Amino acid sequence: MNMFSKLPLYLLILLTLGFASCESNDPSEENDGEVITDVTLKFQELNASNALVGSVLSFKAIDPQGIEVGKTPTVQSISLTKGKKYQMTIEVTNSIKNEDITQEILAEAAEHQFFFLGPVFDSNIFSIQYADAGGIALGLKNTVTVSSSPGTNNSSMRVVLRHDLNKSFAGASNPNFSNFVQAGGETDLDITFPVILN
Amino acid sequence: MIQKGGLFILCLAWVCISVQAQQCTLTLRGKILHLENNEPIEAAYVWLVESNKGVPSDANGNFILKDLCPGTFTLQIRFIGHKEINRSITLNASTTSQTFLMEEEAVDLAGVEVHGHQEVVQTTTSVSSLYGEALLQSRGESLGESLKRVAGVTTFSTGNTISKPVIHGLHSNRILILNNGIRLEGQQWGAEHAPEIDPFLADELTVIKGAETVRFGPEAMGGVILVNPPALPTSKKKITEINLIGNSNGESGNLALAHAGGSAKIPGLGYRLQGATKRAGNIRTPGYVQDNTGMQEMSLSSALGYSSKKLGAEVYYSYFSTTLGILRDSHTGNLTDLQQIIKNGRPFSEGEFSYAIDNPKQDVVHHLAKVKAHYHLQPSWKLNVQYGFQSNRRKEFDRRRGNLNARPSLDLELFTNTAEVSLDHQLKSQWTGSAGISLIQQANSNVPGTGVTPLIPNYDMFNAGMYLIEKYMKGPLEIEAGLRYDIRNIRAARYLGNQLEESNLQYQNGAAFLGAMYQVSPSLSLSSNLGTAWRPPNVNELFSQGLHHGAAAVELGDKNLSAENSLKWVNSLELDGKKGNLELTGYVNRIQNYIYLNPTGQTFVSLRGTFNVYEYLQANALFYGIDLSGSYGFGQQWEGYFKGSLIRAKNMETQAYFPFIPSDRMDVGLSYSFGKPEEGQGKNRITLSSLGVARQSREPDFDLAPAPPAYSLVNLGYSRKAQLGKNQFTASLLVTNLLDTEFKEYMNRFRYFTADMGRNIQLKLNYQF
Repeated sequence: MNMFSKLPLYLLILLTLGFASCESNDPSEENDGEVITDVTLKFQELNASNALVGSVLSFKAIDPQGIEVGKTPTVQSISLTKGKKYQMTIEVTNSIKNEDITQEILAEAAEHQFFFLGPVFDSNIFSIQYADAGGIALGLKNTVTVSSSPGTNNSSMRVVLRHDLNKSFAGASNPNFSNFVQAGGETDLDITFPVILN
Repeated sequence: MIQKGGLFILCLAWVCISVQAQQCTLTLRGKILHLENNEPIEAAYVWLVESNKGVPSDANGNFILKDLCPGTFTLQIRFIGHKEINRSITLNASTTSQTFLMEEEAVDLAGVEVHGHQEVVQTTTSVSSLYGEALLQSRGESLGESLKRVAGVTTFSTGNTISKPVIHGLHSNRILILNNGIRLEGQQWGAEHAPEIDPFLADELTVIKGAETVRFGPEAMGGVILVNPPALPTSKKKITEINLIGNSNGESGNLALAHAGGSAKIPGLGYRLQGATKRAGNIRTPGYVQDNTGMQEMSLSSALGYSSKKLGAEVYYSYFSTTLGILRDSHTGNLTDLQQIIKNGRPFSEGEFSYAIDNPKQDVVHHLAKVKAHYHLQPSWKLNVQYGFQSNRRKEFDRRRGNLNARPSLDLELFTNTAEVSLDHQLKSQWTGSAGISLIQQANSNVPGTGVTPLIPNYDMFNAGMYLIEKYMKGPLEIEAGLRYDIRNIRAARYLGNQLEESNLQYQNGAAFLGAMYQVSPSLSLSSNLGTAWRPPNVNELFSQGLHHGAAAVELGDKNLSAENSLKWVNSLELDGKKGNLELTGYVNRIQNYIYLNPTGQTFVSLRGTFNVYEYLQANALFYGIDLSGSYGFGQQWEGYFKGSLIRAKNMETQAYFPFIPSDRMDVGLSYSFGKPEEGQGKNRITLSSLGVARQSREPDFDLAPAPPAYSLVNLGYSRKAQLGKNQFTASLLVTNLLDTEFKEYMNRFRYFTADMGRNIQLKLNYQF
């Protein structure tokens, strides 16, 4: 019984301990790991024997804060020459953490894939093939052929990066596969670049 | 220590009015109630020894002994399973009325369902409980699913593994869940955050449909759910219960064990140990398998208690952990993804059956410890002290790149201390009441390293409340009133970008209620309860700022939101006849400053694509509706039942409807029983039931997809209860969605992405020894 008669005392001790030991931690800055701030499309001309010639043309889409309400990304216009063939490579970075996400995408090539859509393909202004090493369908490296008689000098290209999709889904090996959602997964990037042809 | 007589019984002798009466014309009236919950006891036998007169109590616990002579008598009250009352009583007035409280005795009565041995809350508002056979039928289900058996309770779910109970259209932080008397404090604000509790720990689930802020503190605006474990044994006996459940859909298995016993050496000392484990794989809809919808769960609870004439003490601990898979395709990257899958009406991926749980998933661990004691200062005064500690850890994983995939994108740690001191009195037979102080202290921290800007800040919350409740009982009438005042302080801090943002918010509010219950006749009772309640805005409503991952939505909180105030009026009628019963509850709940997430109609563009923007707004809301349930026995073998509810909820400012309000529904069933349990045979029952759910025609102005069509489901069950020696064995086979109907439930957030669960065959075995 003695034990029980001291119960209020034990309770009080427990209570004091409990209440004192329970404070929230100071918040710490969290760097958004998966944020993509810069997407760069690099074009370099390919000659008739498929060798790289000339200088590299870079066009960027930038969202310095990552996903933040009230800010809109800046997207540069892609400016290319009619009738030429280019190698297009894509670089993806997180400038907040100074991280090269291109390498991560390459390392997880089995779970990622770029799709290229929009009027520029619908009107046969561009044609595109995946040219990644090992012949995989990924889209970090591609060959783009610009029509010599496009009919218009202004168009646009939509670049979509899908994550966690079923890459063997019927039709998914086509870089212009517009039903990419059917292959499952989710979108990591969805950017529409204006296209100007000279 | 346990002996015959009125130990523990609070003598509520009331002063007799002295009237000169020498002839034998006196009348003794009384009411017999369970000590533990004040429920009336029917058929207790009252015997006035010296005058050789006796009478049983009626359904309301009332009895009358007439034509008594003045003098001193011995009054004996006996009721099976309860300690006998032997009391000396002096009769000298024309009428004497007394209330007798009987304490349950630890007598094991096989086959007898003894209900309500717990400290069920005394209230004049509408209360419904699940216990005994109804609870047995719900075994293996989550708390939300189990409570769907109560009229007026539905669920707000995210797929088939996450479900939150909804009482009269309100859920999450607008209702309270009590785990053995302690407010369950988890991350309840999230629509996809299920209550961190396994109903297996309970032998009774009670739903209070009124605003019970006065008794339980802020947030109990829509109602309260009590998850009560069985009372601890106080004498030497041992009870063990085994439950084994298997389901065809999800190929799940569920094992639960419970063991309780009392000490032979120390009378009054009892213990209980209980544990359950569950594993389920991917759920199948009539047409396809939902990928990554498996789950794993484990729960434990233990209690040690001691009770003597004056002192009662209990130590309690419960543990709950779960890993829940989230349908892969429900996690969308941007608005286009979301629109595409909604258009598709089902997941893109073709799922296969598997137990594997991949990202996206949730990992939740909840600990709850409680110490409780009561002490009878005097026969009519009781002091209660209760302290609870809770720790909640929630990790949510998304599909991410690289090593981030192994890291949670939401990692929250929540500690809660609750303390309560209250003083109960049962002064004279008419007056009972309670006064108390309750404290809540809470600390929420984001565990660093998620690589995602936290959705809610780190915060410290402190809440202090004082309350007073008084009840007057006379004959068939009970009147109850209460008052409470609370103050709350929230200090929050977080980094937005690299800017430290700190807030210090104060809220305070009063609450009051007035209720009455009138027993018109032994079979008819009416009750009415008018109560106010309040709820300070939650941290997510105050501070959300950014992308809700997976939902393709940007949510904006508002630090200037004020507290919600509600006024709820609940009326109920209970008809309890020999052949059947009927319960009708009607309510109106007016909520001022109701906080809701409103689509702004704007979209936000990023490199990831487009998102819808939502903001938290406040408006005056009106909720009203009715619940109706009843059963009727046709002869000995056939019984029919029905249960339905209607809810209407409107924004009084814009006249728009709120999203995710349950649509009208009705459940009807017919059962046939056979077998002669009194002759040692098993008791069998076949039940055929049908649930009809209407389409929600009162849709909000904006929704991602229109409300799904109406549906109806057919269920068929068979159960057999048998006596194996002294032990009881129950087996049941239940087929839900017998016709494998493809349907979508409006209250399931995954209706945008997938059909609901298809046919399921469940086998359930319960053995008690």
